[in-house]
Amino acid sequence: MADAHAAGGHDDHADHTPSFFARWFFSTNHKDIGTLYLIFAIVAGVAGGAMSGLIRMELAEPGVTFLTHFTGGNVEAAYNFYNVLITYHGLMMIFFMVMPALIGGFGNWFVPIMIGAPDMAFPRMNNISFWLYVASGILITASLFAPGYGSQLGFGGGWVLYPPLSSNTGSPGPAMDLLILAIHLAGASSILGAINFITTIFNMRAPGMTLHKMPLFAWSILVTAFLLVLSLPVLAGAITMLLTDRNFGTSFFDAAGGGDPLLFQHLFWFFGHPEVYILILPAFGVISHIVSTFSKKPIFGYLGMAYAMIAIGFVGFIVWAHHMYTVGLSVDMKAYFVAATMVIAVPTGIKIFSWIATMWGGSIEFRTPMIWAMGFIFLFTVGGVTGVVLANAGVDHYMHDTYYVVAHFHYTMSLGAVWGIFAAWYYWFPKMTGKMYREWLGNLHFLLMFIGVNMVFFPQHFLGLQGMPRRYIDYPEAFAYWNKISTIGYEITAVGVLVFAVCMIDAFFVYRKKAPANPWGVGATTLEWTLPSPPPFHQFNELPRFDKPDAKAF
Amino acid sequence: MTLPMATSLTAVKKRIALISGFGVWAASAANAQITPAGIGMQPANSALAEEVHIFHNLILMPIITIISAFILGLLIWIVIRYNSKTNPTPSKFSHNTMIEIIWTGVPVLILLVIALPSFDLLYKEDVTPDGQQVVATGDGQTVDFIFANDFPESRMVRRPKHLQVIVDNGSERRVMKNRADYRVDGFGEANLVVSMATPPVAGERVIIRGGRSVDHRGNVTLAPTMTLKVTGYQWGWNYAYPDFGDFEFLSNMLPRDQTTPELYLRAVDNRIVVPVGETVRVTITARDVIHAWALPAFAVKLDAVPGRINETWFNADREGVYYGQCSEICGIKHSFMPIAVEVVSRPAFEAWVDSQRALAGMDPLFDADTVKLAQGDASAHAE
Repeated sequence: MADAHAAGGHDDHADHTPSFFARWFFSTNHKDIGTLYLIFAIVAGVAGGAMSGLIRMELAEPGVTFLTHFTGGNVEAAYNFYNVLITYHGLMMIFFMVMPALIGGFGNWFVPIMIGAPDMAFPRMNNISFWLYVASGILITASLFAPGYGSQLGFGGGWVLYPPLSSNTGSPGPAMDLLILAIHLAGASSILGAINFITTIFNMRAPGMTLHKMPLFAWSILVTAFLLVLSLPVLAGAITMLLTDRNFGTSFFDAAGGGDPLLFQHLFWFFGHPEVYILILPAFGVISHIVSTFSKKPIFGYLGMAYAMIAIGFVGFIVWAHHMYTVGLSVDMKAYFVAATMVIAVPTGIKIFSWIATMWGGSIEFRTPMIWAMGFIFLFTVGGVTGVVLANAGVDHYMHDTYYVVAHFHYTMSLGAVWGIFAAWYYWFPKMTGKMYREWLGNLHFLLMFIGVNMVFFPQHFLGLQGMPRRYIDYPEAFAYWNKISTIGYEITAVGVLVFAVCMIDAFFVYRKKAPANPWGVGATTLEWTLPSPPPFHQFNELPRFDKPDAKAF
Repeated sequence: MTLPMATSLTAVKKRIALISGFGVWAASAANAQITPAGIGMQPANSALAEEVHIFHNLILMPIITIISAFILGLLIWIVIRYNSKTNPTPSKFSHNTMIEIIWTGVPVLILLVIALPSFDLLYKEDVTPDGQQVVATGDGQTVDFIFANDFPESRMVRRPKHLQVIVDNGSERRVMKNRADYRVDGFGEANLVVSMATPPVAGERVIIRGGRSVDHRGNVTLAPTMTLKVTGYQWGWNYAYPDFGDFEFLSNMLPRDQTTPELYLRAVDNRIVVPVGETVRVTITARDVIHAWALPAFAVKLDAVPGRINETWFNADREGVYYGQCSEICGIKHSFMPIAVEVVSRPAFEAWVDSQRALAGMDPLFDADTVKLAQGDASAHAE
């Protein structure tokens, strides 16, 4: 460990915390912006989670019986409301919950600290990144209440926004235009954030911290930032073309005018597939730290872990059409995408096995973050192997757009990325707030959610194998059994989330136990644990050094 | 790629039943398709769908289950063995080149095991069958029969497995064995000569089927005998039969009070009718937004995209009614545009075609005495 804490007293001296308004609204401090992002993600997560609750309540039994309560008994409005719910649930969770939490939140908080930097490279750009997100959040909320199809409110065409359902043919009202602008702003925000991370990581590492000594979370954010910079402009281009198709008479995606609806799908998934790695890679980074910390062992195969993420990021760009096996691609094209997609299993396997090898021979403390991390490893494995099944176009012709796919991507995203977020939250909560939480509450939260989400999503594999299509408000009676189980699972999950809320309220207002600089013991070796909890407003006025021969960052 | 189990269908079915458990495979009623609380795929009604089941149930499912169980087992072992009480002193290793090579190499091998049958299956699904057959009548003397190998270069009959010889004496069909019952000269050439070991009896029909479209049961799948034109719209399907006068009709979901609770959301007013055991080419497009035409029992799913005509095919094993549902979100009534196919015998199909032609003001196409189309020989009956 380098002598990084040398700057402690010095920092206190420089701790001129601005007034409330200046601090939280004009903030240029990476930790404050990280906190804002986390608050934003929590708000969006509650909204997106509530939407999934409405979806599951409607699907609890066959028949359109629940959402009609919200539409004054109007059945067609309920159909539209259901489609709106699944659309905004997806967009909320992806763009406004997971991305702000892992990249904007934990990335902003801990990347500068982990690499020994005083702040991000462009603090003001960091500020505008966050506020663009807020503007985007306002626009997407407005779009929820704007007319879409007929007199119905909101856009109900799925988060993938495929035209012609998203063009004037399927959704003539302004809801879709507002949604496009919301995604433009969210995309601009993410691109600016990504540029900031890349610049920070390349230029502001502490002396002697080579890339090959850099903590894996910083590595994961670096790879993610490259994916964002390369993929989001493609999405921006696609939705801009959609916007001009809708408003200015162009016909990029309109077959009647010489365009092609499938062009949009190619562009969308050229962004969309890297996007799913954007969501999961930071979680990979977090899990590496937690596993190493609580096993009291260095991470196994550090270089393999870093390069596996680069490999996943690279291959992630050349597999997009596996989302499009049923659109009518040529068979040779499908064969290529089958092969390329299966390749991803190899670096992902390296990561799973390296985490296990890190724990192997360790002296493991099963504190709350570690329990979440181990849950992540198992759940992500389950989500990963069903991905290998879906990679095979020959089988995907059966599975595509069924609940099998829903189960698969929720195991990787909802049970993978979100598990990573909770693991990170419990891991860094003491550092960010300076307070401890009651571990039994965190463990109870884990237990309820683990049982709950598995009950929600495991039966959906069965529904998919039986052929139940996704995005259906009503289904044949034969599907009723597993849908009921799934909804019960949601209720258990909801209780788990309540326990989380209790755990947090308790930690802030009742338990109020002060966190030490390093609550996790000898295994916690990265730089954030050398700072007090919470860290001073400005850290590392004197840079930590890693240029001694025996210095090792991670 | 030949699956080891491809030889005996019944053996395969037994094994699948064992693996999928819960008796899901053996859905009793032909029309049930979806088993309440079922956990497996819908019963297959074509050789192709059956191969999808074999690939999923016997290759993919076991592999992913073993991998998940292996990871879970390792995690449990770690919890028991490497917690801070049982193992107070952590080891410090962080590298082991051999184990890293193993866990990179073994997954590659597993993926290869998956990829080979996967590509085979994919090409079977996506290449519309082009098998041809000739039918000759034995006279008790002739032993040599000619099969014109007039396929494009890449689709020519080149190996014994591309050729199938069936002898039908009116009451029984026998699939002949290469070398034992016949031999073939001229693989890859313009004309193939099939020489029977014993001359077929007078009146026996000799059916020679050739082509690259060989299903997993070893049968040559013949080229389509008809085309079905599917057009999706918000929210229903339009079907047309261009080979039989291009009559067309709309197919809409039956409301709740006009069908049974089991079939609600699947039953439609006008079903598609197709002949059993014949290859049906399906061309799919859409009028407004994207829809997807899906029939799980045939492992068929293909998007209906405006401005584009997609093609797929199926060849039904058994008669009955089979259901599917629109599988690409298409607006507020996406859940309410099901697909229903009625598979019937060739005579029933022809009668139905003529009834539809009558509705459209056309003369009957089929006479009761007309010899059935040669390819009406249902390959499914050959098993």
